[in-house]
Amino acid sequence: MKRYVDNIGFAFLVATGVLAVAFLVFPLLVSVSMSFDSRGYLGPFPPPSLSLRWYESFFSDSYYLNGLKNSLILATIAAVVSTTVGVTAAVVIDRYEFKGKQALATLFLSPLIVPAVVFGFALLMFFSLLGIFEGFPRMIGGHIIITIPYTVRTTLAGLVGIRKTLTEAAMSLGANERQAFWDVTLPLAKTGIVTGAIFAFAFSMDDVAVSLFLSDPNTYTLPVAMISMMRAKFDMTISAAAVLLVMVTLALLVVLDRTIGLDKLLGQGVYRA
Amino acid sequence: MKLSPRAALLLLPSAAIFLFLLILPLANVIDESFKLFIPGRIGSAKDAPYTLTNYIELISPAYAKFFLDTFLLGLFACAIALFVSFPIAYYVARQPVGLKRKLAVGFLICMMFLSALVRVYSLELTFGPVGFLKQVSTLFGLTPNSRTYIELLTIAGLIHIIIPMSALILVGTLQNISPRLVEAAQALGAPRWKAHLSITIPLSARGILSAFLVSYTLCISAFVVPLILGKGRLLFISNLIYSRFSEVANYPSGAAMSMVLLASSLLIIYVVTRIAAARWGTE
Repeated sequence: MKRYVDNIGFAFLVATGVLAVAFLVFPLLVSVSMSFDSRGYLGPFPPPSLSLRWYESFFSDSYYLNGLKNSLILATIAAVVSTTVGVTAAVVIDRYEFKGKQALATLFLSPLIVPAVVFGFALLMFFSLLGIFEGFPRMIGGHIIITIPYTVRTTLAGLVGIRKTLTEAAMSLGANERQAFWDVTLPLAKTGIVTGAIFAFAFSMDDVAVSLFLSDPNTYTLPVAMISMMRAKFDMTISAAAVLLVMVTLALLVVLDRTIGLDKLLGQGVYRA
Repeated sequence: MKLSPRAALLLLPSAAIFLFLLILPLANVIDESFKLFIPGRIGSAKDAPYTLTNYIELISPAYAKFFLDTFLLGLFACAIALFVSFPIAYYVARQPVGLKRKLAVGFLICMMFLSALVRVYSLELTFGPVGFLKQVSTLFGLTPNSRTYIELLTIAGLIHIIIPMSALILVGTLQNISPRLVEAAQALGAPRWKAHLSITIPLSARGILSAFLVSYTLCISAFVVPLILGKGRLLFISNLIYSRFSEVANYPSGAAMSMVLLASSLLIIYVVTRIAAARWGTE
């Protein structure tokens, strides 16, 4: 009896897991295969024959290309600024004792709980008050504030794991405080810093809500371009754009694996045989 | 170490960023939310009188529907996602170091980074009214254009986003629970399901809780998923705020909704962590 219930339960959980993975992956496969569809209209799946026409249409459409270019520039700027500022803040929070330290750490993570639409709305009104109406500076501001919490959080997590004795050892061997920081602390915190930068880049690329508010008719991101196309007509060029975004995701994953290794990211757990 | 003035200087750039991109803009939203709106204008007038109208409007039954949709569908999505991601996370956490574990972790991270737009577009292409799996709707006895099916699609969009995220959070918790405990319970005669129910689940309660909090705050502030999969017939509060800005330019009302949405997120986090603290001690 005991075995019987166990087996049914186990089979049920395995089925749930497999079904869930299928649910995650299958729609993506449909999108990818439809992006190679040779038909000029949205026909039933699977496509009868393959072609690159939707990719040609994507790469000859300046509307999409402009969005892609802006997205990549924005994500790069956001990742660089957020990482620099986030790492600096995390280092100060980690190393120094001062009043209100905990409150400051909470403030740095607080953008995570502000809904993206609220950010978009708030920044739009605030930038108009300041008289800033161009899309690019507005979006840079928006993307920096939504990505900073990730860089602060991952850097802090990376710094907490470093034993203070290592820095002390470096200093007792003659390194000054600055050398100890650059040669010991920073390399050890690399995992956290790189993870944060990649998170910042990925979430900046993914953002729709903030950019939708802050873009202007000439300066917009790829997701903004895609969403307006999706609402206008359900054209297959969007599949090609979607596949390109999946490629960006995969590229980020490869960078993550090459720089710090996917194994290290989650740790191994305490009870590993 | 004591904070020296030079070190404090390092905090200056981040302080400036948070002042100008978070604190002042939100303060401005609070201010705007109490301003009187005159239809036909864009936003409130500079010298508009202060009023509570924008908030009082939101109590009317016409708005209750949007709040209910947001909070209930979000809750369903979280419940399903947590239930589903637990076995996935358990599988990954108990995987020995090696290629299989690396691939599984890589898969989850990749699914987490995936753009929300790609998800909704793919789901629409697969399960939507023109999708080739639209027959799924008949499984539930629905037509592809019925309101309930749209609600189901929206839930599908939300869980597509939160399954990988909660699975990753749960892996972190589960891999720190000693597998010896369940083995001991089984050696002492407990069936496997009971051993997991009385050991693994309670020990991972904190992880389940933080997965829930992250997922639920994401769900109630979801924007893209209801925008595309809801097809204008199902609106979340986020979509309502956007339409206040893009369609009627009633900024004060949009500001009031933003404040209510933000306050609800904060309240949920506060209440849930409070309950958890009472149940499991500090933190």
